[in-house]
Amino acid sequence: MAANCVQKVLFELEGVFIHPSSDEDGIEPDLLVSGTLRIVDKEAEVFVEYRPLEEAVDPSNMLCAGKDSSSVMEWDQCSGEKSKSLIETQQSYETEWDMINAVSFKKKTFTNGDGCVNPSQERSRWAFSVSVGELRCVTLKVEGWSFLLLTLKEARSQLPTLHFHQGGSTQFLDSLRRVTLLSPSPEDETCLLVSTPNRALSQSFENLLDDNNFGLVNQKFRKDPYVTTLGGFSKVTNYIFDAFRGTEEQHQRPPEEVADLLSEVIPGLEINQQEEPGFEVITRMDLGPRPEVSRRPPLSAEDWTKHQDPEGRMTSISKLKKLIFKGGLCHAVRKEAWKFLLGYFPWDSTLEQRKVLQRDKTLRDYRSLIEKDVNRTDRTNRFYEGMDNPGLVLLHDILMTYCMYDFDLGESTELLLLGGMSDLLSPILYVMENEVDAFWCFVSFMDQMHQNFEEQMQGMKTQLIQLSTLLRLLDLTFWNYLESQDSGYLYFCFRWLLIRFKRELSFQDVLRLWEVMWTGLPCQNFHLLVCCSILDSEKQKIMEENYGFNEILKHINELSMKLDVEEILQKAEGISQQIQSCKDLPPSISSILGLEPDLCGSDPTHSGASPPLRPRPPLRRPDTRTSTSTSTSNGLLRASSAHNGCTVAFSS
Amino acid sequence: MISKSALLKVILLGDGGVGKSSLMNRYVTNKFDSHLFHTIGVEFLNKELDVDGHHATLQIWDTAGQERFRSLRTPFYRGSDCCLLTFSVDDGQSFRNLANWKKEFTYYADVKDPDNFPFVVLGNKLDVPERQVSGEDARQWCRENGGHPYFETSAKDATNVASAFEEAVRRILALDDRADHLIHNNTVDLQRKSHPDPSCC
Ligand SMILES: Nc1nc2c(ncn2[C@@H]2O[C@H](COP(=O)(O)OP(=O)(O)OP(=O)(O)O)[C@@H](O)[C@H]2O)c(=O)[nH]1
Ligand SMILES: [Mg+2]
Repeated sequence: MAANCVQKVLFELEGVFIHPSSDEDGIEPDLLVSGTLRIVDKEAEVFVEYRPLEEAVDPSNMLCAGKDSSSVMEWDQCSGEKSKSLIETQQSYETEWDMINAVSFKKKTFTNGDGCVNPSQERSRWAFSVSVGELRCVTLKVEGWSFLLLTLKEARSQLPTLHFHQGGSTQFLDSLRRVTLLSPSPEDETCLLVSTPNRALSQSFENLLDDNNFGLVNQKFRKDPYVTTLGGFSKVTNYIFDAFRGTEEQHQRPPEEVADLLSEVIPGLEINQQEEPGFEVITRMDLGPRPEVSRRPPLSAEDWTKHQDPEGRMTSISKLKKLIFKGGLCHAVRKEAWKFLLGYFPWDSTLEQRKVLQRDKTLRDYRSLIEKDVNRTDRTNRFYEGMDNPGLVLLHDILMTYCMYDFDLGESTELLLLGGMSDLLSPILYVMENEVDAFWCFVSFMDQMHQNFEEQMQGMKTQLIQLSTLLRLLDLTFWNYLESQDSGYLYFCFRWLLIRFKRELSFQDVLRLWEVMWTGLPCQNFHLLVCCSILDSEKQKIMEENYGFNEILKHINELSMKLDVEEILQKAEGISQQIQSCKDLPPSISSILGLEPDLCGSDPTHSGASPPLRPRPPLRRPDTRTSTSTSTSNGLLRASSAHNGCTVAFSS
Repeated sequence: MISKSALLKVILLGDGGVGKSSLMNRYVTNKFDSHLFHTIGVEFLNKELDVDGHHATLQIWDTAGQERFRSLRTPFYRGSDCCLLTFSVDDGQSFRNLANWKKEFTYYADVKDPDNFPFVVLGNKLDVPERQVSGEDARQWCRENGGHPYFETSAKDATNVASAFEEAVRRILALDDRADHLIHNNTVDLQRKSHPDPSCC
């Protein structure tokens, strides 16, 4: 195997010195050892290595704090066709990175586990090779020149201080940063704590963040060759899946590292420890007991009309919203009430105004949209073929119209059918029983949701981070457990967030949950507390059964259709009260939940009497497409029969 | 992993809408839904198999084919014992994308020996009359890309679905270094086509 051991040198600097005398007694005072410092990627692990210049170092004598490095990285050693495609993708970084021919390093390879310190070997006593994962911290001092002290996690041996008489310490640290996280220690600024991120997850996150290309070669790869090297990658995936297979010890990672990890992979969204000392506070905060709250029965049609004045304006709106928040709506009220909740109808509009509004929408806006040519791909056309369910045809017509309305989503028809958007529309269509109203309500709903579906999925990133922040506040123990299973960034909540629990709850329960959320009560981002509420109920099971990465995902996936919406809402409201009654909330939490100190306790959305009129925005880009055809085959012109009731049956 | 019940991880990859979820549901629960929503992220179901008196658990991972969800599926490739590359015979693009899927899988699963890794290719929606991909084209692709077995399936009317999954098992077990999946016996007779007791985990 040794001959196949492939290494990549990520950093190399000659002229790094060791001053043996200052490290150890009994050495000539003036002895300076000059040598080469390298950061080397060996198959799956990254090592910091130092080798004195003059001496041919026998690696078996090195201090190798790392684990096994004897296995083979297939890709690099293959020649010919075998791994051609992969080699192709790697060529571009070969020029960027000084990849030293592995031959010069091969010699004897380390054997598993036993190739450690051998202090009797004098000639190579200053050489060392230490896995980055074994480093606790790196301390940089400047006294005339820079010198670095590498501290190991296990103090079985002290590494010599490295003196950068000829500069290069910054470059070394920069290179080290590419393979690990360095964060200043709170006690000592010169001391950088080393943490080894889980690269699979960060990679995955990065993909979520900035990777929309199909195929293996993409810009990110070029930007950061390191993370794309297979060696680096295999390590991470090992990390995850070994955990699954039960061969990996559990890694406990302190939350601050995760914050770093998150902030590294999500620039601009970081949970900044420096600016928000709240992070530390969060971890120790005592929230106090969670109040028991009770739910109420749904608002009846009678109650709804009681809240209308003779002209049809809604009255005492904040009270009304509160009732809806506490109990939801009877189904009979939904068709009308949802239009208010979603902002299609202004709360203080009269019946007359609403009629005009609806007619205008129908005749002008929607018509102008649907008369545009809809560019359907073959695939989409086939989707309609043999479609016997009129509700489904309608659903897709609306989605397609929406995509013309909101060009931000891109023009690919795949997006029309993008997983999730139909989930958001179907309950609305079901309640509205009318294409035009459903369309406008959907537009309003998408105003809140469309970030989730944008190219960059900004909404998803933000929500996952916010959720993680909240969970740490509410239940650090549980969050730490999840983190120990590489699940701290809560990827398994992705579907919950993307489509607001649409696939987790029964159809009727989805209607209830959504109308409650649309009241904007009791705080901003209440749906995140809904997540926390569900997680709180599953915590015990997950931890007791000691679920790992895959099992957590499976468990959460399998909650689908087994959750009780009233129970969830009750707990979520309790959580919101628990948080709101807390005195010194970290600013990060207050801002997620929109709890301004002075507004605390009051309706955070709008207070009472005059809710803001929210007229529909004008069509965003009504004329960017030339209408090449007004014949839209598959019934898009059904708008003219907009008031046809339509019975819609969905399989969800 | 030597145990009485071998756990075999099989992963379904392919473009959005080719019928991966439908295939899994057909195989595991023997149901078909003509209007499935797109998968978000990954889901998996277990299916118990009896192979020559030995018990195996097939863990079938269904992934979201839509490009948008790529980052949600790739972390789960690792550890797969077999990859089912799926396209739809009425969708030429989904067939042309097979190479990309294979590449994506090989990369993220970090397959040690891709030449000998078991892939099985499925051309789904056989029941649809308008084909865009001929069986010959598909077979040729399989020949030229490593000699993968090819199955034409229909999740809708259950054609060949069980055989395809069984072939996946057969391929896994045929690999020498996986012989330890079954304690004594790595020649397996999976010709039984009958499929009487679909069980959902
Ligand atoms: N006629 C026919 N339709 C099928 C067959 N398999 C799946 N479908 C239909 O094709 C559509 C897409 O199927 P899915 O199973 O959701 O596709 P998928 O590959 O899981 O798609 P993603 O989850 O987006 O990756 C659904 O409406 C299925 O009913 C089949 O064998 N024959
Ligand atoms: Mg699917």
